Amino acid sequence: MNPLTFTLKIQPKFTLGVAQLTPDNLAGLSKTEIKSLKLPYGKNKVALDTLFSVTGSDSNNIQINRSCDKLVSVGRNMSHGTVNVNGDVGKVLGSYLQGGFITINGNAGSWVGNNMSGGRIDINGNAGDHIGAGKPGDTFGMTDGMIKISGSAGDRVGDRMRSGMIIIYGKAGDFCGSRMHAGTIIVLDKAGKNPGAGMRRGTIILVKKPAHITATFKSNGNLKIQFLRLLFTQLSNMGKEFSIFKKFGPEAHRFSGDLARNGKGEILILQTLDLNKVA
Amino acid sequence: MKINGVYIDDTFAEAFPMKATRIIITAMNLKWAHRAANALRGFASSVIACGCEADIERELSPSETPDGRPGISLLIFAMSIKELEKQIPMRVGQSVMTTATTACYAGIHDGQQIAMGKRLRYFGDGYQISKKINGRRYWRIPVMHGEFICEDTTGVTEAVGGGNFLVLAKTARHALLACEKAVEEIKKVSGVITAFPGGIVGSGSKVGSKYDFLSASTNEAYCPTLKGQVDSELSDEIGSVLEIVIDGLDEESINEAMRVGIKAVCSYGPKKGICRISAGNYGGDLGPHHFYLRKILK
Repeated sequence: MNPLTFTLKIQPKFTLGVAQLTPDNLAGLSKTEIKSLKLPYGKNKVALDTLFSVTGSDSNNIQINRSCDKLVSVGRNMSHGTVNVNGDVGKVLGSYLQGGFITINGNAGSWVGNNMSGGRIDINGNAGDHIGAGKPGDTFGMTDGMIKISGSAGDRVGDRMRSGMIIIYGKAGDFCGSRMHAGTIIVLDKAGKNPGAGMRRGTIILVKKPAHITATFKSNGNLKIQFLRLLFTQLSNMGKEFSIFKKFGPEAHRFSGDLARNGKGEILILQTLDLNKVA
Repeated sequence: MKINGVYIDDTFAEAFPMKATRIIITAMNLKWAHRAANALRGFASSVIACGCEADIERELSPSETPDGRPGISLLIFAMSIKELEKQIPMRVGQSVMTTATTACYAGIHDGQQIAMGKRLRYFGDGYQISKKINGRRYWRIPVMHGEFICEDTTGVTEAVGGGNFLVLAKTARHALLACEKAVEEIKKVSGVITAFPGGIVGSGSKVGSKYDFLSASTNEAYCPTLKGQVDSELSDEIGSVLEIVIDGLDEESINEAMRVGIKAVCSYGPKKGICRISAGNYGGDLGPHHFYLRKILK
């Protein structure tokens, strides 16, 4: 069966909510029913087929073509299946994601994977601020699952995240891992100022020294961290897109904190690499 | 039935259901992984008094272990999940965590889970860190050598314990040489262990005793020194009997282990003192798994 494919007929002028386009919501619907779904478009709602042409039939595998940053809430609350997007997407990609796999072949806006509790999001491009973070008022950000960003991410990656993993192949903005409760963030290029500010637990792994570490982190010195060996071995076994982790060893400079919050988190700055080669 | 002149009794080995788990120990090198594994499997020859039966299954190359270091896979068998839940944290805590540079992982992930790192984490006294990778939870326990990594739980599977055969020989030396070869061959079969020291039982037992407080006692029918005194199973020429007991994750692996083990023993033949192969059974009352020697060897 071919994936159920939605191709934008026109570039939307307003924000277009596509939260309904998930395997959970579309299972069992006929093509006519799908075409007549009402999508939030700016302040109004419009029938899906006024903006999308629909082909294919496999509602467990959904594809969105010619996407742009006006599309928001892609894959919201999804629990299984796949969503592949060709083009950029807007805010709140994969929010409340419980399972399944979302791939974006383009850039993503802010709040990717906020409050997600499982599944995986791959962004083959850059992403905005607050990746895997909790929305204002929420106690926690993401509680499980994985977000992989091939490019760079904005500020406050993983703010208040509770568990799960965020891997950024490019740069991360300021306050990466701020107020983390647990989980793991890996940044393979430069991170901005104050990573881990306010973190209580969790691990931030950096390949390069960040712009600035707050004074409330204490150096534990250069160590061989056994956990890194396990983590990198497991990641490199996950597929060739993670093969870069084969290069990494367990040696790291460990900073613990944030002591201002009696934190037991850690920032691990890898030691053994030829950084020019990694970048 | 005879193999290489060695008579195979028309009997069966009687085995019983057990619960088992597999754990993987890694260390800086194989030497230290072996030290931890040997400590863990110490005093784990029989459930009669040890609580569990455990042995090394095989060595693992770095590409086979979760953290990319050399490792050892061990199988641990017990009569109940409750007993395994008691034995695993105790043995991992005292034998593996105390061995320098080690880490401990689950080798079976399906089935009912029993606590491993979940219990041992408290050794970290509040400094322990939980990490989840690929849906599996690991505990990082700060220790003096660095960090002891232990997987949260390990899975339990149904298993079979007590597969066995008896090697009847002219002398203990004859029996032991042949049994050593058999154990060597059995070690090549995956999913089985021979938990007794060296894989060989020098004092095979029967169920029960004249003493109320004993659940097992010497198997007098196979004791050479009691020939003529009891209803002996031994002919005049037999001066020593050794037993090989095999625990396995399933019947097929025990079948295979018994087959290669008996063939290895028979390869020594009567000229090297091997007279007969028999098996321990209790008339079918002990367990539902019956391994018929002649059927296995066909």
